[in-house]
Amino acid sequence: MKRSKPILQGVHLARAFGEGDKKTLALRDVSIRLEPGQVGLLMGPSGSGKSTLLAVLSGLLKPDNGSVVALGEDLWAMSERERERFRLLHCGFTFQGYNLFPALTARQQLELVLTLGEGVTAGRARRRAEEILAVLDLTDKGHLRPNQLSGGEKQRVAVGRALMKSPTFCFADEPTSALDWTNGQQVVKLLETAAHQDGAVVLIVSHDARLIPFADRVFHLEDGRMTTQKQIRKSDSSDLSLSARKLQRTRNDEPELAELPI
Amino acid sequence: MAIHSYTLTTLWHDRQRFLPGVLAVAFSAVLINLQTGLLLGLFSTTSIPIDHSEADIWMSAPGVLSVDLGRPISQANLSRMASYAAAESPETLLLDYSYWLKPDGSKELCIVIGSQLLGRPLGAVRELTLEMRGRLSEPGAIVVDEAELGRLGITAVGDRAKIGDQRVRIVGLVHGLKSLTGPYVFCSLETARLLLPGSFDQATYLLARCRKPEIAFNVVESLRGHSDMSAFTKEEFSRRTRIHWLTQTNAGISTAFTAALALLVGAVVTSQSLYAAVAASMREYAVLRALGIPRGRIIAMVLALSFWVGIVGIVLALPTTFGLSHVAEVMGTRMLLPHWLLGSVMLVTMAMAVLSGLAALRSLRLTEPASLLR
Repeated sequence: MKRSKPILQGVHLARAFGEGDKKTLALRDVSIRLEPGQVGLLMGPSGSGKSTLLAVLSGLLKPDNGSVVALGEDLWAMSERERERFRLLHCGFTFQGYNLFPALTARQQLELVLTLGEGVTAGRARRRAEEILAVLDLTDKGHLRPNQLSGGEKQRVAVGRALMKSPTFCFADEPTSALDWTNGQQVVKLLETAAHQDGAVVLIVSHDARLIPFADRVFHLEDGRMTTQKQIRKSDSSDLSLSARKLQRTRNDEPELAELPI
Repeated sequence: MAIHSYTLTTLWHDRQRFLPGVLAVAFSAVLINLQTGLLLGLFSTTSIPIDHSEADIWMSAPGVLSVDLGRPISQANLSRMASYAAAESPETLLLDYSYWLKPDGSKELCIVIGSQLLGRPLGAVRELTLEMRGRLSEPGAIVVDEAELGRLGITAVGDRAKIGDQRVRIVGLVHGLKSLTGPYVFCSLETARLLLPGSFDQATYLLARCRKPEIAFNVVESLRGHSDMSAFTKEEFSRRTRIHWLTQTNAGISTAFTAALALLVGAVVTSQSLYAAVAASMREYAVLRALGIPRGRIIAMVLALSFWVGIVGIVLALPTTFGLSHVAEVMGTRMLLPHWLLGSVMLVTMAMAVLSGLAALRSLRLTEPASLLR
């Protein structure tokens, strides 16, 4: 199978925390690659290094060793300012917890990303926020503050905030952990759409095995090492439309996985 | 603009959190305004004989520091004054301390001010009406401020008392001329000569009017060439008198100290209030940092918060200041709130609020986006 050019690649990544006897190796020589339009799912037990890998790949945490190449550029060879600019232009994030400003409405939370970040006019930011609210199915709740929204709605706003600038990369840390499955599905479908419709690279860290059907690649980390990388066989579904693929998944309870060389 | 809109939304939503900061700014501004206003009001009474008279030029014995500390100067100097065409209607003024003997036998220090009364006198305070000046032409006739009656041990017009060993009679009362030191006693030059020591060819001040007050400065500059006398414009002598009292009594220093203390308390409370607000939204700010929003813009958000806390504090402080100043006036305490004072206090308290915002920025140091992934 011909491999497309990777858009995000981490090579021989290592990262430790602490010193001396207390030194913990969070990542040990981990390599990973993701292509455009893919949803990657990082799984593994607590303390396996999933979140550290996400932080290193997204330009938030400097690795002790190895390199991260995104859009052909070495993220960790950039200056702090250049990396910040890279994140501003290309990266969206959702973290555990909703992390929404309590005083601002759902619409303002979204607008803030554009008006503060890219100097977009208030009018344009508002139009984009309306579009995203429609995608989130929250059009009629744009005027509500976080304390007036349900957990699922808040997480959708948090995902919406990550998607406001149509990012090339979207990183999500346990986006469904605080939600019931109905809400969790809604949230992860938003991320899946960002990858499959808009071509973003989506990398999700989660414990939840129910997310596997939504992923194109699944990575298992254990004790800082990548133990398995699996790709859902898409040979017979690559030409299908998004809705058709979703339909196919609902018919199959368990996705078909192919093990890849680590 | 967007930053200010989010800031105002946040300020209103978290008003309970920001209230201590807003009140601290308001408290600082009100305290400094009132303290300084009271001080200015208090010391403005020391220059009443200058500020309430019509004289534009004041000539005195050399080196006089304050209007109440004048020393005798020869009336012959009037000719010097008269040699300047711009210095019109030169006349003399007698002003000195004396003892007021109350009916109960106790004594009170008072300031006797004797001036010409006819025509358009320069030395007589403008509160002395034409009718009063007519009555003052009688020997021993005096006018005092109504608020000083108690201090002088008298009750009404017509009462009698003694200054030194001379009998005096109250022929009228004025308002708003209460003194910081001894009560002012207004009388004619002739009565003052009876009440105060000194020879007839001497005066305490020689006064003149200028048709254009701005010329007074030039005349005064020329008169300063004489070493045996001093000359001042009305404004100079008034300021000199107040500054003398301000420095002599250390009241200025104590007021400045209180103002600094008010600012310090205000700054601490405001910065703590802002710090807590920023710390409470630390994770949200960290998300913005992760999204690549430059630190500078997040700092701008925090400083916008401190700016608006300052503005709201000042908006609260102004009516409070005017309200309390009105209460003080009603209670008989003079308070001056000139525009320069209100403007300066606004600037200083705004600076305090913004500096408090800078201090609150230290909580932003904790907003490390990677910490959201641990």
